[in-house]
Amino acid sequence: MAEKKTKKESAAKKEPKKAAAKAAAPAPAAAPKVTPGKTTAKEARIGVYICHCGTNIAGSIDIPAVQEYAKTLKNVAHVDNYQYMCSTPGQKKIENDIKEHKLTGIVVAACSPRLHEPTFRTATKTGGLNPFRFEMANIREQGSWVHMHDREGGTAKAKDAIRIAVAKASLLEDLIPKAVPVEKAAMVVGAGIAGMQAALDLANAGIKTYLIEKNPTIGGRMSQLDKTFPTLDCSQCILTPKMVDVGRAPNIELMTYAEVEAVEGYIGNFDVTIRKKARGVLTPAEAEAKGIVGGGCNGCGDCDVVCPVIKPNPFEMGMKPRKAIYIYHPQVVPLIYTVDFDSCVKCGLCVDACGDKKAIDLEMKDELIKVKVGTAVIATGYDIFPIEKKDEWGYNKYENVVTSLEFERLICASGPTGGHLVRPSDGKTPMKVAFLLCAGSRDNTGVGKPYCSRFCCMYSLKHAHQIIEKIPGCQPYIFYMDIRSFGKMYEEFYYRIQDEGAKFMRGRVANVLEDPNTKNLLINAEDTLLNRPINLEVDMVVLAAAVEPCESTEKTRKLFGVSKSMDGWLLEAHPKLNPCGTTTAGVFLAGVCQGPKDIPDTVASAEGAASAASIPIHMGEVELEPYFAQCIEEKCAGCGMCVNLCPYSALSLVEKDGRKVMQVTEAKCKGCGTCGGFCPGGAIWMQHFATPQVVAQIDAFLLGGEQ
Amino acid sequence: MARTKGYPEALEKKLADTRLYEDERHPEFTRTVEKISMSIPHMCYQCGTCTASCPSAPRSSYRIRKFMRRALLGLEEEALTDPDLWLCTTCYSCTDRCPRDIAPTDVIMAMRNLAAQRDIVPVNFLKTVQAIYSTGHGVPNNDVNRAARKKLGLPADPPTTHGFPKYVKGIQSIIDHFGLKARADRIVKEREG
Repeated sequence: MAEKKTKKESAAKKEPKKAAAKAAAPAPAAAPKVTPGKTTAKEARIGVYICHCGTNIAGSIDIPAVQEYAKTLKNVAHVDNYQYMCSTPGQKKIENDIKEHKLTGIVVAACSPRLHEPTFRTATKTGGLNPFRFEMANIREQGSWVHMHDREGGTAKAKDAIRIAVAKASLLEDLIPKAVPVEKAAMVVGAGIAGMQAALDLANAGIKTYLIEKNPTIGGRMSQLDKTFPTLDCSQCILTPKMVDVGRAPNIELMTYAEVEAVEGYIGNFDVTIRKKARGVLTPAEAEAKGIVGGGCNGCGDCDVVCPVIKPNPFEMGMKPRKAIYIYHPQVVPLIYTVDFDSCVKCGLCVDACGDKKAIDLEMKDELIKVKVGTAVIATGYDIFPIEKKDEWGYNKYENVVTSLEFERLICASGPTGGHLVRPSDGKTPMKVAFLLCAGSRDNTGVGKPYCSRFCCMYSLKHAHQIIEKIPGCQPYIFYMDIRSFGKMYEEFYYRIQDEGAKFMRGRVANVLEDPNTKNLLINAEDTLLNRPINLEVDMVVLAAAVEPCESTEKTRKLFGVSKSMDGWLLEAHPKLNPCGTTTAGVFLAGVCQGPKDIPDTVASAEGAASAASIPIHMGEVELEPYFAQCIEEKCAGCGMCVNLCPYSALSLVEKDGRKVMQVTEAKCKGCGTCGGFCPGGAIWMQHFATPQVVAQIDAFLLGGEQ
Repeated sequence: MARTKGYPEALEKKLADTRLYEDERHPEFTRTVEKISMSIPHMCYQCGTCTASCPSAPRSSYRIRKFMRRALLGLEEEALTDPDLWLCTTCYSCTDRCPRDIAPTDVIMAMRNLAAQRDIVPVNFLKTVQAIYSTGHGVPNNDVNRAARKKLGLPADPPTTHGFPKYVKGIQSIIDHFGLKARADRIVKEREG
């Protein structure tokens, strides 16, 4: 049955070929208009180039044998090989041969199209052919590398790959990429230090930027930190000027207490729906729009005083109370109170206290706002791994076991204890503190995280310094496996902390036990350098907990069509050469959402993402690969089944010459082929992956060239 | 192997060449241990969680982390001739907590198997074999226990091979199938005469 179908489609393949012969396109460089359903007009003359890639390919594939074989293939007019086809001399070969041998298509048998398709397309274009008359045969990633120890098999597979590529190249047609205009606006999701930096850079480059933050204030994790390593500047002191800048920048439209609800469109034209959560409080601008002159929240806090509902403040890791109407901390941007409608009892005391400002609206509802942006930066940051899952360390079981973020708040002058480190069990000052590194990181048990969380070593050194500085006689013990002090001035910081008297114990802590009377903690570890088990009683344990992408990352990433890597962090386009890009054009990554980073690396990554996101906007338009579906109108019955199938809403039915036919919005079409594969009348032509081209490839494989 | 220079014995020990030589390493030892234990000691990063979890370590010279290192490096002689190999209680605390998901207990058991193949077994382990062979129990019942059981209103012997001695034969045939008793008898005789 399969054979029957193939024959039928092969017959269909010949038909457009004949039809095309009538409307011969003269000069290939002149970019003739594409007519759906018409393949190449001229007699195909294919040039085949086999790359050695040094010994990457030549080491396990018999190049001369492959070359001799390629010469025997139908339509092949010229065959050559070269050490490195991607080098300038390699590309020159293609450019010269197109003219000399009057080639109509190019096949390069080398690495993956992902790596060098753009290179060879450019060479094809320079030689005077339409760049889409190029086809790549992957004989490295899918050839020599996987068949490294099977020269014969690898060579045979390379021959197959070239035969298939030649079959397609013989039927390739000229295609013209479509340019779409780019909206001169950008969006940044998440307003921690990464999102703030990216938004500031974009705004300073003259781009209108929407900065979306799910919390009531910007600042993110960095605003919760006390000091920053290795310079020990106060985190808030260096962060708040940036927060103020963000709040004031005319090009930044800040939306706090808001989340991305829906994303439609493509690079240059993203239509984003934002849910502005009901805050219950009007900003001065919103109040003015409602005709309340001089009204709106001015952050006076009168409402806070009268509110009878008390809840834990998440900014202080729940260690300080807040009211149902609250701000996280005094330096919030914007300085606008927020009503927590989950706990508000709607007693109305705050409304009375607010008085003439009339800022509080307890009946406020969520609002959906639509904006159009050209590019987007995702900067959704991290959360602490739920470290209670590693129950041997007793978090949530023993009061004096805290996480590093809780420690930051306890040691911070603006924190719940005014910067006096105390034991949660009895409020006493601890004199012996153990820091447990790799708590949940570098863990292959399936409970913790297999990766290194990357900044815990350094902040634990900083914590040790802080307690030595603040509490005379207090002894920090750092239980570590390796100290990873890789950054500028980091190793020097390690030296300094050791010199200050921190005790470094090389061993991972096996378990922590509590003395139920004193609430002191008993640590079991091995000093692996002395080769002796340690039994240490301390007053407090700080877990340098692993980090993981924050919960909302999953929703955001799906909306923007961004993949994640095995460890859960968002997937960059290339781990080394494109760490800020994603596989979705126009969407970029900044900061920890891509993988654990300290503050300097986060800021650098944010600046990189902002720069990358600004390029399409400054270019003004972007070229889309022309792999669109096209409707062959004379075959289309107007049934409309494809319209419902299209996952990108790119298709619609239109009235033409008195009947209904399908029409493609090319900029929305991603060339997935869902419609083309389904169309019962064969009326959809998938450019660059057209039925005759694909069938020719299948035939070439199955029939071994005997077509 | 430590290389010696010809001093008096105590001094000899202190001055011995303790460097690690390449010829002590046997990669096939690592592979064999991994095959028997069905675990991955070559992935050990020496954090010490195992030793710190070990109930034996604080009371003895047994350091399971050292055995993982020996498995990783293929130090067959050093691992199999170290009497500490037999100090594991097989409580599996290390296996529970190992962050690299190695099963150190099973690695130790694999090494014990390999040591036993070379007749390196402490006599007390062999006597346990003999005890199981003759009574069906590694720790057979004794008069003190019998008295205690009676006091608690229990039969003097538990309903095991003690209560049903005819089944000892079944246990014996299992042990004989592997030639374990004969082997134990031979080694005990060699050591104790």
